[in-house]
Amino acid sequence: MSLTPSWNRFLLLPMLTAVVAGGCSEYDSSFVYSERTTSLIPEAQDGFKSESEAAPAISGVKQLLDDRFGDPQDLKAWLKLPVEFGGTQSAVAEYSAVEGVATVKFSVEEGKSLPETASSVQVVSGALAGETLLISSWDPKTGQATLEGLPSKEIAAGDSCVIDGGTVMQSGRVLYMRHCSHCHGTSGDGAGPTAQYLNPRPRDYRHGIFKFTSTTDVSKASRDDIKRVLQYGIPGTYMPSFLLLTDSEIHALVEYVRFLSLRGEYERKLVNELAGDFSQKAVATRTEGGESRDAIVAELKEMLASDIVEAASSIGDGMAEDWTVSDTEEAVIVPSVARVPDSAESRRRGRELYLSKTLNCADCHGVDGAGNGPQTIAYEKNPITGEPYNEAGLHDVWDNLNQPRNLHTGIYRGGRRPIDLFARIHAGIKGSRMPSFKNTPHEDIWHVVNYVLSIPFEPEPGATGVPVAAPAAAAVAP
Amino acid sequence: MKKFWALFFIFWPIVALYVCLVAPSRNWWFPSAPMSSLGHQIDGLFYLILIIVTVTFVGTQVGLGYALWKGATKKPGEKAMFSHGSHKLEIMWTIVPSFVLVFISLTQLEVLANIRVLARFPDEARKTPVAEVTARQFEWRIRYPKPGTQLATEPQEGDLYFVNELHVPVSQPVMVHLRTQDVQHAFFAPKLRVKQDAVPGLVIPIWFEIEKAGEYELVCAELCGWGHYKMKARIIAESEESYLKYLSALESDQNEDGVAEQAESASAEE
Repeated sequence: MSLTPSWNRFLLLPMLTAVVAGGCSEYDSSFVYSERTTSLIPEAQDGFKSESEAAPAISGVKQLLDDRFGDPQDLKAWLKLPVEFGGTQSAVAEYSAVEGVATVKFSVEEGKSLPETASSVQVVSGALAGETLLISSWDPKTGQATLEGLPSKEIAAGDSCVIDGGTVMQSGRVLYMRHCSHCHGTSGDGAGPTAQYLNPRPRDYRHGIFKFTSTTDVSKASRDDIKRVLQYGIPGTYMPSFLLLTDSEIHALVEYVRFLSLRGEYERKLVNELAGDFSQKAVATRTEGGESRDAIVAELKEMLASDIVEAASSIGDGMAEDWTVSDTEEAVIVPSVARVPDSAESRRRGRELYLSKTLNCADCHGVDGAGNGPQTIAYEKNPITGEPYNEAGLHDVWDNLNQPRNLHTGIYRGGRRPIDLFARIHAGIKGSRMPSFKNTPHEDIWHVVNYVLSIPFEPEPGATGVPVAAPAAAAVAP
Repeated sequence: MKKFWALFFIFWPIVALYVCLVAPSRNWWFPSAPMSSLGHQIDGLFYLILIIVTVTFVGTQVGLGYALWKGATKKPGEKAMFSHGSHKLEIMWTIVPSFVLVFISLTQLEVLANIRVLARFPDEARKTPVAEVTARQFEWRIRYPKPGTQLATEPQEGDLYFVNELHVPVSQPVMVHLRTQDVQHAFFAPKLRVKQDAVPGLVIPIWFEIEKAGEYELVCAELCGWGHYKMKARIIAESEESYLKYLSALESDQNEDGVAEQAESASAEE
């Protein structure tokens, strides 16, 4: 009796052929739309097709989003957004096409310089707007370039263009796909293939919220904040350190993460405009109430054609403003006083504040700082749906159960420097139930920081190193 | 057809020999010359064993070839020699390999003890461990003792923390404590020839003496989960002076309160 059935050998050939033919080709990835988008009625998602010359197509949410952000294979740069897409902004100074050879002279703004190498140029305005032309030879000193072939239309002097546009985005995308997407997902939705095994869950960037920032409570995360998390990781979670990536790689990743975050925020805010009246649920309620579906769709059509177009533009402006301001020094929290020297007295004062009614840290973190305050056994309501959650405890905006930190572990997710803890208390932890205590005097915050930093080393809960009235205890002892 | 098979079986030893000869120049060999004192001993041991097995392998293959050759060239009617059950031969091929194995095991004892046995660690390294390295899915967390104090098993106030970058002084034996927070990992510095498993629940001391200042790769050599490939760090060997400077910079960064820096720059402007 043979151990290997003889037909096995016939399987090998088709299998090999399949691998060679189908093989390891690159698979296409695409951005997905959020659940909130897909909960709208189909007309709101997909818009309306063009019926005649007089009635052009009207974009739905999906189209509006794709127009601005594209797909991983075909990224779009919405130049309004504070993301560095890469490339050099320039303008056409001279153009000539002699005997089938097109030469262009590019100029850049005062104070900026032309890149050392250039392989392509994307035309932004003029007759060829939206086209990418290939450059066959490039002189970085004069900005003189010879194009590959003749462009289909004339380029005029003054047309603005970007040389090697999107290089930062492209390298960010490649790095993101390699290092981040398996947890954070292609669209930054925190739902990559390995995400389901992790607790805490990987961040869903699409709210535009990052937890650990050095900026004030109303600000977004700055570039430095994202960079810091990438380089040093988040201890106590599955986010590892990517310290060994080079500066330019980190830079590209930061920009790409900002891009994904802005895409998600834009989608979210667009849907907010429509969800109240045109979600499947809302439309069902409205039709039950006697409205005809056709009338609702007509109303939607009108809204998409005018109001939403304006809203989309102002949402973009608002996001650009928020993210730009958050990246400036004004947004960074700077304590008005230097850290109060760490002393037994300061720690004792910190503990007093910790237990006080004004700060009320113990309500969540517990009297002894073990993260077991009364709030952890209370049932909360989901602020969006109004339904109570299934499990007791605090929930963040991502609807995950949020354990208040056990302060005894000595693990500080947002960093262990005093300024990190100061910022955590001052701005709160964004998206979580840790609130901002920005109105607390800075000196008091430092006392709390000193106390919190001392908790892991306490001989017993609340013992701050200050001698307590020992005789009373001795009297009780038999 | 006979010729084909003869050439076929000649071809492969030639390829093998060629590969052995060019391997060092093509970087198919060790990642580099050993960069630590232990590395020299480990490589020495490796080469000793390599020579022994090469001699044995080539010797037995030549013997096998000779036997085949003799058998194939026998004239019809000539009787084969029958050696099965020969006591003399059996004693020989039992005793000779045993001697070789005993020789290897005695020779390596010294090196193994130098790597593993705490009592044999250089005194200066053993008395003052420089850092605790905690492997974790999927990074290396480093804890240095507060400057001027001894590394303790449990974190102490003022300890300094970093991740994925271990600084050590060059040209002197250093000891680190290896542990893991979750599953089994392995501390592997290829150029230093250091490889030690990190086992949950154990604090394992490892020592090395880096001979040349520079940056050395530290990777995980135990498949520890889906992010195993991410677990890369660097060891930076530097002069005592810049090592101390690094630690004090780390200390002041860790005490950063967001105010001091601005005050300094303000006073610099004045």
